[in-house]
Order: sequence, then structure tokens, then C-alpha cells
Amino acid sequence: MYSDRAEFKVRQPARNLRAVPATPRAPVTVAASRLWLAIRLPQFPLEVVLRGAEQERACVLVAGQGTRQRVLFVNALAARLNIRPGLPLSAVQALGEVVTLTQDPLAEARALEQLCRWAYQFSPLVSATGTGLVLEVQGSRRLFGGLKELFGRLRRELRELGYRGALAVAPTPGAAMALASAQRQQVVTTPEALAGALHELPIEALVLTSTQLQDLYAIGVRTVGDCGRLPREGLGRRFAPELLRMLDQIYGRQPDPRRYFEPPKEFFSRLELPWEVRQTQALHTAMRRLLHELTATLRAQAATTRELHWVLHQTDNTCSHHVVGLGTPSRDIERLSLVTRERFHRETLNSPVRALELRVTAVEAEVAPAMSDLFQPTPACAAESWPQFTARLRARLGEEALQGIAVDSDHRPERATTWIKWQGSNWQAEKLPLKLPPYAPLRVTKSQRPLWLTHRPIPLYEREGRLEWHGGLVVGTERERIESGWWGESIARDYFVATDRHGIQWWVYKELTGQKTWYLQGIFEGAANESR
Amino acid sequence: MSLDDLIRSAKVWRAGQVPPGRSVTTGFPTLDALLPKRGWPYPALVELLTDFDGIGALGLCLPVLAALSQQRWLIWVAPPHLPQAPVLQRHGINLARILMIQPATPRAGSADSNSHLWAFEQALRCGDCGASLVWLEHVEPLHLRRLQQACEVGDNLGFLFRPARYAAEASPAALRLLLTPAAKAGLCVELLKGKRGQATISVHPAQGA
Repeated sequence: MYSDRAEFKVRQPARNLRAVPATPRAPVTVAASRLWLAIRLPQFPLEVVLRGAEQERACVLVAGQGTRQRVLFVNALAARLNIRPGLPLSAVQALGEVVTLTQDPLAEARALEQLCRWAYQFSPLVSATGTGLVLEVQGSRRLFGGLKELFGRLRRELRELGYRGALAVAPTPGAAMALASAQRQQVVTTPEALAGALHELPIEALVLTSTQLQDLYAIGVRTVGDCGRLPREGLGRRFAPELLRMLDQIYGRQPDPRRYFEPPKEFFSRLELPWEVRQTQALHTAMRRLLHELTATLRAQAATTRELHWVLHQTDNTCSHHVVGLGTPSRDIERLSLVTRERFHRETLNSPVRALELRVTAVEAEVAPAMSDLFQPTPACAAESWPQFTARLRARLGEEALQGIAVDSDHRPERATTWIKWQGSNWQAEKLPLKLPPYAPLRVTKSQRPLWLTHRPIPLYEREGRLEWHGGLVVGTERERIESGWWGESIARDYFVATDRHGIQWWVYKELTGQKTWYLQGIFEGAANESR
Repeated sequence: MSLDDLIRSAKVWRAGQVPPGRSVTTGFPTLDALLPKRGWPYPALVELLTDFDGIGALGLCLPVLAALSQQRWLIWVAPPHLPQAPVLQRHGINLARILMIQPATPRAGSADSNSHLWAFEQALRCGDCGASLVWLEHVEPLHLRRLQQACEVGDNLGFLFRPARYAAEASPAALRLLLTPAAKAGLCVELLKGKRGQATISVHPAQGA
């Protein structure tokens, strides 16, 4: 059974012999009280690079240099072209049109941290390993409606984030990870059942180096159970004591201390796009992925936000910053996504985008919504609320498109109305001119004012005693003189009410200075006509 | 709130009973008499068609706008001219409840009117708005249908001002009025949908609010 090579290793001098840890006396009790859920991400390096892509193309992730480049991962479309991991790149190119991608270790590290943030909403104990995550779920399984529900939710949310994960549950983190690695959706809840579940597990499910794996193959070990059957001392001598410790940890005979994730206060995430994007519409998938990460983080912290900061990194080495305001704080993915979409709807890209960043610096504690009265005669529930409505308008049309109006105490007709800049979801009260009671100056003049003013006065020409406008205007006799604004744009005009042949009334004036031209400036709109 | 109140508020009706259409007075007795529901249908999309600028189309809406602005928001999407705040105030409109939407792109063309249509629909869907006004040219019948539904979702009154040449086109708006100058004075209102009829109204505030 033992190969020569293994024999040779055994005969190594005692200098290399390390102390074999003794078998711990009893299973550690900690392991029994906890339950670990492992998420193994078999395609992680490929998904990290590809998850911002809008449309799917055949892609492979390669590693190696020059002519020795080999395929590490393939996506579904590439697999359909018969491309398998391990093929040399040259062979791949013969099989079809394929996008070649390389691994991005920095992006992987960032993505793993983001996944930890996301997983933090399900458990306070989250730990990242090289190939996935483990979370403690004994405490939270009831909260999420049982393990089955939790599995469904994790799978769904992972898909939203752009990953495909294999899940498993076991009393130790190592065992859970091993079961997940074998892609068996297995749930082992008691330490007693653990040995049985691990028994048939292929040895590849453990985290081993390729030489360790080869050595184990060489001595005929195929399953984790085989490993356990080998004499403990021999195994410890043959392999590094790490292997024994790992097995002990998997079986719960030794504690498995891990570094647990601690959520940072600020949210930041970046997504590199697999190819350059020229239209903002093609960014939506990538943006939604980042927003999913954000909402999960906010949910984990029971927080909300009212401002998103987007940074688009463009190919000409510039980046553009976009702030998306929300009106009221939220962490609703649909709302964040909609407002972001509206915001970018009116953006045109001057150069292609290669990466996206989302940053949220200020989070707010969630305010539980007040219970509304079931029989309260409120508008239909599908109706939007005012803050949502204005946030959406601002996002799509821009801040400057929203205005309020107020009365100003100026005698010049064009200044009697002020346009107020819209700020937030309500008025800035101090911006309202409060110098005089609303229409005191108008009451003094006792004059007629039209409902509309034209955007600028329209010059009129006089012919045969009539003003040329809509078939001729007959100018009334009542005159109002307005001379004002000596401190700035001064005016001196005689205003009249003119009537066209349909009886529609218009507000016209004659300049008292200069060319003495006639202008049309107002439209009475019937109801504004105060004469009886 | 008791069950009787609910039934009275017309949000709930008994089976076998025709759902009562709500309406709100226009402020003009002659106009109320002409309209099928004796006032503006509410919530609903109302189309006011006219080729005459200044004839008083907006004037017809002022009393109801004044009433609604006490509680809810009025949204004006891209008005064709500059509304005068002192005059609106004199008609009893609460200026603090007016939101003017002026999509910034001054470019003419379809993209522009699309954003007007979009903003109008959003306004109609908003439950905190009372009435919304928009001035548009051509609108696809499908979009009109959406607008009518949006009014019902947001419990809103939508006023759509259009040129008279669209009077011949079918429209799902709850009420369509064609406005022309009356022979002597005032304004002739013609009911285009349902039981046809017309009335001459002189739109003066003394009669209105």
C-alpha cells in the first residue's frame, strides 16, 4: 500500500521529526454549541472580474506566463464551447471567440471583504477563508426562519451580488467548509453525525497543498475517512503537524480560532468592469451589484443613508463624481437603484468607464415607521410619498429644474414673482422674502395684473391705430404708469389692457423713453381679469 | 373611524351599488351644471383643448387649485409662460404648496416633451399632490391611459392643456373640454366626451372663488 516515495519519507532522519500532538482527551465543548454555515465560492476569481458585466460573453480566466498560459476558470458560455479548465490558452482560441481575463488579486481581496459585510447581516461571527466564508448560525437560524429559508435567501442574495455559492452546515467551521467544497448541500447539526458525514468526503475537499494531496494519494488515501483511519502518529510524522491539527479541528477535537470580521463604519466598494462601457445604461448591472452590497451592509447595522457618492473611473484617467440624494434616508434596494438610474439617465459619458466606486460616509440609525391606522383614509397605498417623488425628480431632472414661487415686493411686474430654488424635500423658509405683507404694493395700485407674463416682452407694431397681434389689438383707455427700479434695471412704462377680436385680453405697455415701442407682456387668462 | 364614515367617504361601497364617482366643484355654477358629475371628476385626468392662448383655460382651474392647495401640493410641469405669484395668491392659492418643474434642457423636440410627460406622470402618482398641470402637444393614447391610471393611483386631479386639433383623437381622459371664444363675451365650453353639451361661461373671479 505504501509507495516507495512514502517509505523514503518515513526513513528521513529524526531531525525532521516534529512532536506529534497528542490526541485531545475529549471533543471540545465549544464545537457542540455552535453551528457553522460555510459558503464556498468555486468560481470566485472569475466572478469577481465578471460580475459587473451587463451582457454575457464567453469568458475564461487564465494564469501563467507567455505560451504557458492555462485556463483556470470558464463561465457557462465558454463551457458550452467545450472549453475546460486546464487547457492551454492557444487551444482555447481555436475553439471559439472567447474573452480572456486575468486574475485580479486586489479586487478579490476587496470583494471578499464586501462579502463579509454582506454576511454580517446574518451572523455576528463571520470569517473569510481563501475560498469562501464561514458564519456562525446557531444563534440566527431561528431568526431567519430555519436553515432552509436561510439557504434560499443566501443563494438568492449571492446571485444578486453576482456569485454562485455552495452551502453546507456543520458543527465546526472546517467541516462545514469541507462539505461545501465537495458541493454537497449537506446539513449536519450534531457532532455525533459529523464523523459519518465526513467519512465519504473526498480528500480534495480539504484545504491542502498540491504536494500534500499527491502524497496522500500516494499512500492510498482517497477520502477524509481514510485519513482518520491511518495511525495518528505516522500521519503526524509523515506530514506537517498542520494536517493533524486541521483534521482535529474539522472533527471538533481541537478549537478552531479564527479572525472574525469587524464591520467598518464607512461603506466603500469598487467594481472593475471587465470591458469598457460607453453608455450609462450598461452600468446598471454593476451599480445594482454595488447597491446590493450597500443595502446588505446597512441592514446588518440597522442603518439607512440619504446620500450615495458614485465615482466613475474613465479610460482617459479622469474620474467623475456624482452625488445621489435620496430625500429621506433609506436602504431599500429598489429605491436606491431607481434613484441612481434616474440620476444617471441624464448623464452622457465623455469617455468609456472602466471602474465604479460607491461610497457612503454618513449612515443614520433606522427609524421604525409609525404604525399607520388601517382605516385611515390615506391615498392609495401604491401612491408615492412626497419625499420619494421629489427625490426622483431631482435625480432625473436636476436640482435646478425644481422651483417654487413667491411674491416679492417689487413694483416692476417682472420682479413681482420670485422663483425659489428648491432645497431638499421642503422649502428653505428663510429664502422666502418676508419684507412686506404679501401684496401690499399691488393693493395700493388697485390695478389689474395678468396671470401670466411672457418670458420676455414681445415687441408689437402699430398699424391703423391697432397693434398687430392675433388679428389686431384694441388698446383700452385705462392707463397705469409704472416707473421703478432706479437702483438697478429701471423701467418707465405705460401699461394698458388690450383686447383682441375674440375678446381675449392682453397686457401691453408703451415705453416712455427711447423708441417708445409697444410691447406685449401679459396674458390675463380670463379669471385674472378683475374688471366686472 | 367608523364603518359609516368609510362608506360615506366613498372609498368603500356595498356590492350591488354603483361605485359613486367623486367630484369636486369647479367654482363656476354654469360649468358645474354642464359636467356629468356636477364638478371636476376626482381623481381623474381632465383634458382642456384650445387654440386660444389666454382664453381662460387655466382660469377655469383656479378655484379648484385654490381649494386643493390648502392641503396638498400643486405641480406645474413646464408652464408656457411665467405665472404671476401675486395673482395666484389673490385667487386664494397657497403659494407654499406650488412646485414648478422646468426641465432644464431648453432643446425642443421629443426628448423634451418626454421629460414633461414623465414628470407629469410622476406627479400624478404622488399621493401628496392634489393637482398637476401640464401643457403638451401630441400624446400617445397609450400614455394618456397611463396618465389616467396614475391619477387614480395618486388620488390626483390632472389637467392636460392641448391644442384643439387633438379633439378628434380618442382619449381615455375622464373629461374632455373644448374651449373656444364665445360670440359675445366669455368662453364657450364644449363637452367632448359622454353626453355632449356646451355652455358659455364668463370666467371672472366674482363668479368663481
